[in-house]
Amino acid sequence: MGVPYVPVLGLVGTDLLARRDDMVIAPDPFGGSTQTVVARAMRPDIAVFHAHKADRQGNVSCGYAAETVILAEASAQVIVTAEEIVDRLVEKESVGAFLPSILVDSVVHAPLGAHPGGLTGRYPVDHDAMRAYVAAAQGDATFATWLDEHVFSVADHDAYVARVVPEAIRVAAAGSGKR
Amino acid sequence: MNGSRGYSDDELMAILLSREVHDGEVSACGALSQIPAAGLLLAKHTHAPDADLIILNTVFRPFQSSRQFHFLAQRGELGLFFVSGVQIDRHGNYNLHQIGSDPEHPTLRFPGGYGGGMIYYCARRTVLFRTEHTRRSLVEQVDFVSAAGSTPPDVLRLGGPSKVVTPKATLRFAADEAQLRLESVHPGHSIDQVRESTGFDLGDTAATPQTAPPTEAELHALRTVVRALMIETGTYARWAERAIAAG
Repeated sequence: MGVPYVPVLGLVGTDLLARRDDMVIAPDPFGGSTQTVVARAMRPDIAVFHAHKADRQGNVSCGYAAETVILAEASAQVIVTAEEIVDRLVEKESVGAFLPSILVDSVVHAPLGAHPGGLTGRYPVDHDAMRAYVAAAQGDATFATWLDEHVFSVADHDAYVARVVPEAIRVAAAGSGKR
Repeated sequence: MNGSRGYSDDELMAILLSREVHDGEVSACGALSQIPAAGLLLAKHTHAPDADLIILNTVFRPFQSSRQFHFLAQRGELGLFFVSGVQIDRHGNYNLHQIGSDPEHPTLRFPGGYGGGMIYYCARRTVLFRTEHTRRSLVEQVDFVSAAGSTPPDVLRLGGPSKVVTPKATLRFAADEAQLRLESVHPGHSIDQVRESTGFDLGDTAATPQTAPPTEAELHALRTVVRALMIETGTYARWAERAIAAG
């Protein structure tokens, strides 16, 4: 939207509002007798999305319906990782949310890039990996070990896939999207 | 199945929630809401054929984006919303965030309230449901307010809490005193049992009536058309198979 702030119909009296310094209760500026919450606009420095398809110009077919367009519009820099890179994508052929290239700064080819999450129509959530993550996140030491195994000691995305992504999910991904 | 009553708590609650749906209105429930989903579909197939239903994350969702749902609510077009809370308190505040007396060091954290922090203020009526009616779920004061039951009169608000439905009773939100009062006690439970299981004072409950039990027609519709529809459309299908008896 590009505006500095917006009214929000709700949140008054919640502990959420009590913890936010970017939201205040303000009177209706048009002389009304009511008040609402007013939220300062969020302008993220970077947004990262994973998508089904992207082309070399930065047009993106997310493959799922979500609020990716409004997030991309709000963010100064937008990076998209994609299962598949194609020559040319147009909005008519896109599935789910479509990000036009004007909003996108970088595209990265990263098959299985949603792991351990799933990607609609391509491959399921890796529940075992999710459970392991939740268990590791219970303490600082176990989480440090998890980060080392999954992030810091992994050379690149291909190495991550080879080390962490189970065969069944790789097979599911390979068998999808071939239409 | 609950012995001599001839229906389960889940079936009872689905039927009680269905009675809250007004024909011609837009009625909705959020994620992980199998009982209200059954209630909405039951209403549509009994007394509210012209109700518009929104069951998020299912085929009964007319929108591509959550923005469209939130804006519909902000425009005042959402008549009824069903929501649950881990804790619900005397003043109709609910908590979907965290448990623990020190908010900086909670003992349990939950995924949060999604859009409830605005939908509770925008839907004309919200009916809360809770599958556990105990002193830990119905409390004097929630540990964290995810959405507030009432707000000062000058705060713009389109609606608020209407009722709370549990397996034991229905509570009504008395807007004039901004607190929950006992409306009716379900068959098989006594007023005293309900008072014992509630973590706040319910006021004068002497004249509280019994909840009208499920009718044969309601149970039949739930166990035939609604159960089949939920299974066929993948709307909490596994829950429907388990929780609703086959008619």
